[in-house]
Amino acid sequence: MNARMAEQPVTIIMVEDDGGHARLIEKNIRRAGVNNPIRPFTNGSDAVKFLFGADGTGTDNKNCALLILLDLNLPDMSGVDILKRLKENEHLKRSPVVVLTTTDDAVEIKRCYDLGCNVYITKPVNYENFAHAIRQLGLFFTVIQVPAAV
Amino acid sequence: MIFPAVPRFPVQPLLLGAGFALLVAIGTATVWLAEQSAQDARSVVHTINVQEKLSNLLLNVRRAESGQRGFLLTGRQQYLLDYRDAAPAVETYLAELRTLMSDNPDRGPVLDQMDATARTKMTELAKTIELQASGQHEAAVALVQSDDGFKSMNGLRLLVERTLADEERLLLARSDASRRNDARLLAVSLAGMALVVLIGALSVFLVQRTSRQRESARNELAATNANLERIVAHRTADLTEANEEIQRFAYIVSHDLRSPLVNIMGFTTELEALRSDIFEEMAKLREQAGVAAAHADARESGGASTDPLGTGFDEAITFIKTSITKMDRLINAVLKLSREGRRDFKPEEIDMNALLASIAQTVAHRATEQGATVAVADLPPVVSDLLAVEQVFSNLVDNALKYGRDGEPGRIEIKGHTARAHVMYEVRDNGRGIDPHDHQRVFELFRRSGPQDRPGEGIGLAHVRALVRRLGGTMSLTSELGKGSVFTVTLPRRWVGENRSAA
Repeated sequence: MNARMAEQPVTIIMVEDDGGHARLIEKNIRRAGVNNPIRPFTNGSDAVKFLFGADGTGTDNKNCALLILLDLNLPDMSGVDILKRLKENEHLKRSPVVVLTTTDDAVEIKRCYDLGCNVYITKPVNYENFAHAIRQLGLFFTVIQVPAAV
Repeated sequence: MIFPAVPRFPVQPLLLGAGFALLVAIGTATVWLAEQSAQDARSVVHTINVQEKLSNLLLNVRRAESGQRGFLLTGRQQYLLDYRDAAPAVETYLAELRTLMSDNPDRGPVLDQMDATARTKMTELAKTIELQASGQHEAAVALVQSDDGFKSMNGLRLLVERTLADEERLLLARSDASRRNDARLLAVSLAGMALVVLIGALSVFLVQRTSRQRESARNELAATNANLERIVAHRTADLTEANEEIQRFAYIVSHDLRSPLVNIMGFTTELEALRSDIFEEMAKLREQAGVAAAHADARESGGASTDPLGTGFDEAITFIKTSITKMDRLINAVLKLSREGRRDFKPEEIDMNALLASIAQTVAHRATEQGATVAVADLPPVVSDLLAVEQVFSNLVDNALKYGRDGEPGRIEIKGHTARAHVMYEVRDNGRGIDPHDHQRVFELFRRSGPQDRPGEGIGLAHVRALVRRLGGTMSLTSELGKGSVFTVTLPRRWVGENRSAA
């Protein structure tokens, strides 16, 4: 793992409503040798509560290094809304957001990048591809710099 | 609104006819009455004339008598002047009276009597004057004193007075008749006028009523039309909404179906990985338990594939994975269709010759490999969505190439012509053809026809038909098994976008 990340372990926030998907993602990230803590959330509300805190300002996570894995199709809200709020928040806007979803609609992809998403990945149905993509992502995690907590 | 057609139709002409008949009757009556009136006037004039003549007759006889008296008394000739003047006048008046009274045979005897009396008087006068002139004064006086002259004069006076009275009565009666006639004439004229005015008023009323009815009918019609348009607009909006709903539904369903598919595929693969671990573990255990060494080779060759247990496992996993792959393809097809359905179409002028040339270019390599030819005739241009039209013809040409007949070089022809507001394009091939039973089926999603020896999902034609429909056109198919197929695409010559019903 990256030296900087090791100093202050980066927490991976995984917002994924499908338990199966969450498990497969975690398995494959681990297979890539990423050992950072992963906090799974199965719905949008819980994730929002954790990320922005009880007061909704995000000050709770001011000093945390976060990497967010975000699904767009959540049962209670659209992942796009969470992405928008994250990128508009003073304390969280620098945290990398990886959109990981089944939607491969060009309009949706464009919209996410417009809103400031850092990486957009479509979940392939073909598991070989899926596993490969997640492992690549894991490898990517090991090399990227996440803004350190101040 | 239903009009009371029976009373309205004949009343108007009937009224007009009645009006004309009435006018003619009034005219005739007026003419007749006027004629009558003129005749009355003539009668009155006649009567007055007769009265005048009678008076003059009497006057002249008296003048003659007075002249005679003067002459007898004085013997002077100057008194005879009056006599000589009056005597021929009496003759004249008598003759005139006879002429005037010839129309009335009743007066004949009276006139004769009058004539005779006057002549007797005049003869007596002539005789006395003659005697006086010849100097027999006494004889003349004696003749006068005989009172014959007085009697005849008196008789004449009475006759004239009686006749005058008669004429007076006649005049009165005639004036009366004339007045009555005039009154009748006036009454008839007034009544006729009143009737004409009444008929006129009735006609005006009827015309107004008819025009009012027409007006209200027109208003009603206009209202119905407006309503109809509103209903059509409403239904169109409903349909559009329903269509969009279906599109969204297809999109959401297919999209959400992918999610569990990822899991099924993922964990099946995980299971497959686990399987090798389990079988390896089992083999180790068996070895430890000292099972027959015969199995060892199989174990070493990499995971118990000859083991019936392993074979069953592999078969199950293979089927699951094949099915998942197929399901993924189908879901992707639905997604693609629904995405196409939501794409915004933009009408533009399309050079069909250039478009088909580029499609032919794309398939040229494949065509050459199959020994097939693609012939494009001169095609009329069309205003439509370029991408959609390109997809339609790519699919049709692709199908024509794909379903050729074995042992027969393929021949694909594309022709087109303009028909009023539409253009028709034909894609004809000499391929295997389609069973008439399947002519509808081939346009349905995931449905195919004939031997399933070519790759495909059964999406192409469904997609083509959906596109053509969105472009306001229609698709038809003529085909017979083993004799090739003709797909005809009919598009509006100038598609203006959005509204299908515009075509």
